[in-house]
Amino acid sequence: MSLELLLIIAFGGAFLTYLLGKISSGLRDSFAVFISLALVAVIAFLYGKPLHKAFYSGFLGLPLVLRLNMLSWFFAITIAVVGALSIIFSLSYIKGRERTDFYYLMMLLVNASMLGIVLSGDLVSFYIFWEIMSWSAFLLISYNRGPALAAGMKYIIMSIIGSTAMLVGMLSLYASYGTLSISEIAPQIASASPGYILFLSVLFFVAFGIKNAVWPFHTWLPPAHSEAPSPFSAVLSGILVRMGMYGFLLFFFVIVGSKIFLGLGRGSFHYILAWIGAINIVIPTFIAMLQNDSKRLLAWHGVGQGGYMVLGVALGTSLGVTGGIFHIVNHTSYIALLFLVVGAVEYRTNGIRDLNSLGGLIKRMPITFIGALIGVCGLIGLPLTNGFVSKWLIYKSLILQGHPFLAFGALIGTWGTILSLYKFLHNMFLGQLPERYNGIKKAPVSMQFPIIILSLIIILFGIFPGIPLKVINCIVTSFGLQSLNINIWGIGSETGALNTINIFAAVLAVGLMVWLVFRAGRKAEPLPQEDTYAAGAAIPREKYHYTVDFYKPLYRMISPYLRDVIDEFYSWIATGVKGLCNGIRHVYTGDVGYYVMYIILFLSSLIFVQIMWGIW
Amino acid sequence: MVMGVVEYILSPLLALIIGIFFLGLSRKIMARIHWRYGPPLTQPIIDIIKLFSQKSGSHGSLFNLGIILSLAGSIVVVLFMPFGQMCPLSSSGGLLVILYMMLLGPLGIALSGGEGANPNISIGISRKLILALGYEVPLLLILLAVMTHYETISIVEVVKKQQHAGWSFISLPLLLPGIAYFLILPAILGLRPFEVVQAPQEIASGPMVEYGGKFLAFATIQHAFSLFIGIALFVNLFLGGASNPVTFFIKMLVVFILGLFINAAFPRFRIEQAVKYLWRWPTLLAFVGLIVVLIIRR
Repeated sequence: MSLELLLIIAFGGAFLTYLLGKISSGLRDSFAVFISLALVAVIAFLYGKPLHKAFYSGFLGLPLVLRLNMLSWFFAITIAVVGALSIIFSLSYIKGRERTDFYYLMMLLVNASMLGIVLSGDLVSFYIFWEIMSWSAFLLISYNRGPALAAGMKYIIMSIIGSTAMLVGMLSLYASYGTLSISEIAPQIASASPGYILFLSVLFFVAFGIKNAVWPFHTWLPPAHSEAPSPFSAVLSGILVRMGMYGFLLFFFVIVGSKIFLGLGRGSFHYILAWIGAINIVIPTFIAMLQNDSKRLLAWHGVGQGGYMVLGVALGTSLGVTGGIFHIVNHTSYIALLFLVVGAVEYRTNGIRDLNSLGGLIKRMPITFIGALIGVCGLIGLPLTNGFVSKWLIYKSLILQGHPFLAFGALIGTWGTILSLYKFLHNMFLGQLPERYNGIKKAPVSMQFPIIILSLIIILFGIFPGIPLKVINCIVTSFGLQSLNINIWGIGSETGALNTINIFAAVLAVGLMVWLVFRAGRKAEPLPQEDTYAAGAAIPREKYHYTVDFYKPLYRMISPYLRDVIDEFYSWIATGVKGLCNGIRHVYTGDVGYYVMYIILFLSSLIFVQIMWGIW
Repeated sequence: MVMGVVEYILSPLLALIIGIFFLGLSRKIMARIHWRYGPPLTQPIIDIIKLFSQKSGSHGSLFNLGIILSLAGSIVVVLFMPFGQMCPLSSSGGLLVILYMMLLGPLGIALSGGEGANPNISIGISRKLILALGYEVPLLLILLAVMTHYETISIVEVVKKQQHAGWSFISLPLLLPGIAYFLILPAILGLRPFEVVQAPQEIASGPMVEYGGKFLAFATIQHAFSLFIGIALFVNLFLGGASNPVTFFIKMLVVFILGLFINAAFPRFRIEQAVKYLWRWPTLLAFVGLIVVLIIRR
């Protein structure tokens, strides 16, 4: 199985799906699912087979190369799995909406282009696939029209700025070395001057930082995530945004190399990057607490969790980089899960995303609730979920390296996460079920299936973190970093080991024991939700759920400090540019009379100048 | 091997006994300070037995599972906590795991209470989480100071190093974090000036309002465990742990009674006042302490 064939299946499948949609929608749906599952199977089959092939050499005389190594396989399998699950979820979510053929085309195209990005062995094909991804993502973000158009516009403008920065960097590389093949640049760049590498690093940091929504380039993300259709939000936040992380890893560890990266700017560059990561954790997670739109709340966490990855990778130690890379796949699993959960709730309640008007859904949508609970635990990073292991690696690396303040930023971010996600869970699923949702049904099977699969992944990787860590360890050693002592249930080391199976066994045994004691007590009689203590007062049926301003005392204290200053600054620039352009429009009215007047005025001023000073 | 199994059973059991003893003791001491006679020391045990035999109502399966999770989580933390020489799960992740496992207690109550569908519960939980955010800021700084100073994330190592170098509470770099921990201890334990979460006169004992019978018994036991955990962490990190359970217990007792004397005299904070207090002096002390640790390390 060659890589060209893989991409042909991916891209060809996307267009074929569109054409099949013109014939029958049932055929289109099953074909889309088939294609996305086939990609998972093919990529899984390619595990551990390093490939490298130039498939076309006519483009500006540069060879276009496809290659597969552990790093690209790791990302490819994540992309394929999340892509397949979101397509399955879409089956009922998108049914009955308009432009469904187009929707499937774009979903598959985004997947295909992301696969193209991670399989590219040279920067030209990287850039081409990158742009396909950016534009198809734009079309999907604005799929819902209305406010989604503005969100999409914000995204594409920032994305273009990022791509331009990348293009400048690439052209500069080409001018210096005459090649854009990654494997050929890497050995040459070691001899470049530190200043030049720093220049390139800043350019590529902007390019990938915008895609990765790193502070201060994060402002496009919250509106884009909340306005996109939910299955695509899962892809967008889960893996598309993390293409920026892939870019970081590719540039700083594959092209530049870890030794030079750590020495950049006398060692200050990676330190600044780490601080950006820490800021990126704290501010967005606390802003998330203030949100009342379930998807926007998750979107802010998407920004915040990116901080952990940047922080881990920027440290440049094997522990930190392992943690950072592991956090990418963990984040993919739980944020995709949570967006799908919101999608299922949205689907059943006719598009309600407002956290203040839901409640008590646990009684009607139990599987969805379990998914939400597991996703929340993963995002918080409770032990026995995968999020814990990656965060543990990052914290440990920070503490042992002697960066307690960075560790403090990362840890306190976790507390912001707990507060905002408990609100998420409580306002949607717990509390009293409003009467108007009494007739709500469970989520359809095609929605439950991806939710269950993702939940299982979170738990599996939480108890046996060795499975993904083994792959990540190969990646990290290929970066020239030290190999870690990894076993199936954790990491052994002299400075503090992690053993998840012990934790799992302890929790299981103790939980079982407590449960038995609980069972031994007198059986509790089930109560309806109206039968609660209200000091003798009658209980209102419609709204007896404490949701609005859930953390009001805290909001009062911190909200003055939690303005998104960066977004305000960009908006200020945008309004300024708009005003300027409006001003110019008064000059270029499109009315011929005005232009004639301008010509006459210009000529007469020339004549005036000649008469007065006689220059000519 | 046999010793290992015994430790697994003995350490939660002793923790339970100590926690319940502290519950009874605190009621007695408070009563004496208020010039009342107070209930007998065994009152909590009598209460728990009585509650177990009483009728109770449940609001659903999460209502049951949450309280089980909460208690189980607290017991698991005890297994991670060095207690004299006992520490059954010493090599499974250290302080960072303890820090996260300590979440399970409040989280279980929060989930269970959430299904109770009573706004009093929600208000109580919202307060609990805000309060937790309040004390976590200084607590994290304190833990980081300890971990950075001893260059380890293992709590067993921290105890071991203190046995060579003396208590960290009286060593220069960790004096300030130690004081800060003592200042936030009542907030961690949910005692007097910080009992905003239950606040019976305001929100009908908050998360506990729907609990009766065995649920209330479980919640009381969980509270006993969390008393043990909060104080044991202080003893291990700052008072050098102990080589046997008896010394450990005496150290815990001294800390607890000192804390009670100070805090019995204060009226309850409002939640904002509590957070403001926690983010002011304890945080400042812990922050300065961490900087001192960093300077000494250089």
